[in-house]
Amino acid sequence: MALFFWGCAGHLSRQWVLPTTDTPDRHTISTVPFFPQTDFQCGPASLAMTLVWSGVSTNPEQLTPIVYTPSVKGSLQPAMIAATRRNARLAYVISSPQELLQEVAAGHPVIVLQNLGLSWAPVWHYGVVIGYDLDAKRVVMHSGETESTTTKLRVFTNTWSRSEYWGLLTLAPGQLPVTASEVPYLQAVLGLEKAEKWPQVVLCYQAAIQKWPASFAAHMGVGNAHYAMGYLQAAEHAFNLALARFPNEGAAYNNLAQVLYEQGKIKAALIAAEQAVRLGGPLIDSFQETLREIEQLSE
Amino acid sequence: MKNFRKRSKPISVMLTVFMLVLSLPYQSAMAALIGTEDLISSQRATEARATITRVLAREDIQQLLMARGIDPIEAQARVRVLTDQEAIRMAETMENLPAGGVIGYIVGLAVLVFLVLLITDLLGYTDIFPFVKKTVNE
Repeated sequence: MALFFWGCAGHLSRQWVLPTTDTPDRHTISTVPFFPQTDFQCGPASLAMTLVWSGVSTNPEQLTPIVYTPSVKGSLQPAMIAATRRNARLAYVISSPQELLQEVAAGHPVIVLQNLGLSWAPVWHYGVVIGYDLDAKRVVMHSGETESTTTKLRVFTNTWSRSEYWGLLTLAPGQLPVTASEVPYLQAVLGLEKAEKWPQVVLCYQAAIQKWPASFAAHMGVGNAHYAMGYLQAAEHAFNLALARFPNEGAAYNNLAQVLYEQGKIKAALIAAEQAVRLGGPLIDSFQETLREIEQLSE
Repeated sequence: MKNFRKRSKPISVMLTVFMLVLSLPYQSAMAALIGTEDLISSQRATEARATITRVLAREDIQQLLMARGIDPIEAQARVRVLTDQEAIRMAETMENLPAGGVIGYIVGLAVLVFLVLLITDLLGYTDIFPFVKKTVNE
């Protein structure tokens, strides 16, 4: 939306205010390994740094085939996200200086996309923010061929704002971004579902339940992931837990019915399927189909 | 392994059912389950509607709507008939405005007017912005 230009960078001090009273004035993460980039491979290098930090055994050479696009001599953002998921890590995108400060303060390194060139001749570059110092007005990055390089906040803001403050976290399953709200987090976990990293998906949804106990989708996510792995009993347990907290959700009865049926508990399956239909709602067609299928196959 | 209770049925029928279930690919077995993605979408839609309602309830927005001859109550009625996808898209557009979104903040008049025109476009009162996709009645 280029209709209105508010001046992306804005006034420096307005963006880089401490987001909460708990956020320290400065913090540097010491546990992020450094991989120097080769040629145009800042994408694989940056991703290797945060993935290894999050516990994955990898390096830039291993990541290059799945991250780097030779025709554009660079790594596209969706490819960075996909590669994160394929390595069984949660890919969570942030888009503001406030979020960057909070995440780094919490010990999470952030891959940022900067335009180091001109707006009409952009030079896109990925680097990893590992620290900041608001008094000294600097950020600390592993970038290019330099480990722990400091950049003036003004310069960093100018280059980072051109990607609309795009930042990427790669977190071990079960670790929450501190700035995460429920739905964006759940959508990030959906990405791991697409990558079929089911054990990690379970951990991610369980962390969501801890943080947001009223999240019905997170409860169901655990059950669905167990089902995907073929752990029917664990799935049954998860759906029963969901029903204990959300007794009027037909979807929970529906999915419970399916896993009961597949374990041969036909009578219980019918009862659950009927209950789903009775509760109705927008998904009633699916509930009725489940009931029909169980009735047909159990005749 | 799947365990089926013994029933007084011919073995061949049981075997057929057994083989049928075993041979079902993962995708169609999942067809009976309500997927997490659908549940999250439905939650997003609920939140989107709440966001839109909240914005439309703002006094400054209402004044601008009325100045353009739009009854705010009528506008709310149009919001109610948005599909889930339309509601999500509308809320996202509103939240992605420059200056980090306007929800909950006191904003300048220029942004306010822009927001009102966006709302009227999304609800079909006006046709100003080419980037606002109009739903085609099928």
